[in-house]
Amino acid sequence: MYLEETPVATDELDRSLVRRFLGGEREAAAALVDLYQQRLFNLALRMLGNMQDAEDVTQTVFGKVFRKLGTYDPKYRFFSWIYRMTVNESMNALKRRKRTVTLEDQLAIPAPGATADGAAEAEDQVGRALMSLKPDDRAVLVLRHFVSFSYQEIADVLEIPVRTVKSRLFEARERLRHTLRAQGS
Amino acid sequence: MLKRDQIELINRELDGENSPDASAAYRQLIQKDPEARAFDADLRRIAVLMGRVEERAPPPYLKQQILDALSQPARASPGTAMVRWAVSQLRLVSERMEEAIMTKKAIIIGTTAVAVVAIIGAIVVGYPPGGGEAGTIGGGDSIPGVQQAARYRGRTMTQADVTLENPDIQVLFQNDRILRLVQSELFRELMRDEAFRALQASEAFRQVMASEAYRVIMASEAYRELMASEAYRELAANEAFRELMAEEAFRELQTSQAMRELQANEAYRELMASAAFRQLQANEAFRELQANEAFHQLMANEAYRELMANEAYRNLMANEAFREIMANEAYRQLQAAEAFRAISRSVELSEAFLTQASRVQQ
Repeated sequence: MYLEETPVATDELDRSLVRRFLGGEREAAAALVDLYQQRLFNLALRMLGNMQDAEDVTQTVFGKVFRKLGTYDPKYRFFSWIYRMTVNESMNALKRRKRTVTLEDQLAIPAPGATADGAAEAEDQVGRALMSLKPDDRAVLVLRHFVSFSYQEIADVLEIPVRTVKSRLFEARERLRHTLRAQGS
Repeated sequence: MLKRDQIELINRELDGENSPDASAAYRQLIQKDPEARAFDADLRRIAVLMGRVEERAPPPYLKQQILDALSQPARASPGTAMVRWAVSQLRLVSERMEEAIMTKKAIIIGTTAVAVVAIIGAIVVGYPPGGGEAGTIGGGDSIPGVQQAARYRGRTMTQADVTLENPDIQVLFQNDRILRLVQSELFRELMRDEAFRALQASEAFRQVMASEAYRVIMASEAYRELMASEAYRELAANEAFRELMAEEAFRELQTSQAMRELQANEAYRELMASAAFRQLQANEAFRELQANEAFHQLMANEAYRELMANEAYRNLMANEAFREIMANEAYRQLQAAEAFRAISRSVELSEAFLTQASRVQQ
């Protein structure tokens, strides 16, 4: 699902880059951005349904990450931390626009360029259905289906028990199923 | 109708989270139960549909923006006089920046940023002066009966004055909205706040309340609309905004280099990029206020600038309860009463006032 040029993140690589950044190596910051910007951008995009907002959230998250990296506890996985920030920032962005924007306005993802068959249509159908769900439901679905996280990883990111992840995910899927059916998808 | 454990079994299989035994149970279920089969097929179809959604590439400039923001020097310590400076620059910023800053866009952004800082300050301090003579707060028509407030002028108010028998206090408590406010936990928190008492005792605060420009602004529809807008509240609570207050570059905005640094500054960009800021820029009331002469007069007012540089004010600005109460119309009415201002400057009188308030039935 990820584009080819996105490097593969591993805990060891994360830790090494964090250490180097804290040691004053500026290149480590660029490497962390290379490693995560696309993942975070896409997570935010699926949460927000809007390219501009996703861009804002991604930039905000990196700003916070670099500011707070000194307080990051390496006994926790870096990716959980950075994904959690992205989910939280996306939630904040949703709260901010809650009263002013309609669903139609929210979904502002221009059609992609050349894509595989059905990709643009799938994006439109899924995007609309996702945006009709509650943000909490959307978060578990996005983390499971677009980020491919396990139940445990989702629990770590959202800081909720695994059993809550499961019940929320299954219920969210059920709602999504009904929504897509209503859309005729 | 599928049972809960069957639904879970199918979902877990889809997610690859079943044990070998559970997977065997799943296969058996699918084989014998058409409803389970249909449900499973539905979920798989959805998974396939979601799998078709392709990942988007972030904009090519995003990485550079992130790294540019990172390359800014460490922030100056908080508590600078940025707000004072920003307000004092409001009327000069266009002239100076025209010479100093290279692009038109920078001028617009810079001017707007300063105006935003200033307006937020106005909002956080925002309540009506009541009008009329200097210091005769409440001398206008905002609350009937507060004209008597002048009786405390020239003598110290004592606990004996803070009773339900006192007509000045009676008139406050007869206002339902005020009563609800003063009986709220948020308000009690505020009244016990030292920074709040310091602000109530500030001469600059009193002068601002008495200024004609302030009265005009407070009475304007644009200002009311603005205060009620979510964008303003968001912005006042915005972390980036508070960080910006500590920025060295912001204070030295009169040089083009400082402006460029500011534009590359993370907190500044965060603020500019925030949804609240964008909503604000699109807000009709905001634009109206920016064009309002009284507003410009207020911004140029020395007492107002002093107030905005006031430590107590800055502390209160970071207080969630304070911001919430500031947006409350009853609070603005309450502040128009001199009796209340006199009471709120003293710990003992504040406590007596809260005790009296708790005795009144709504």
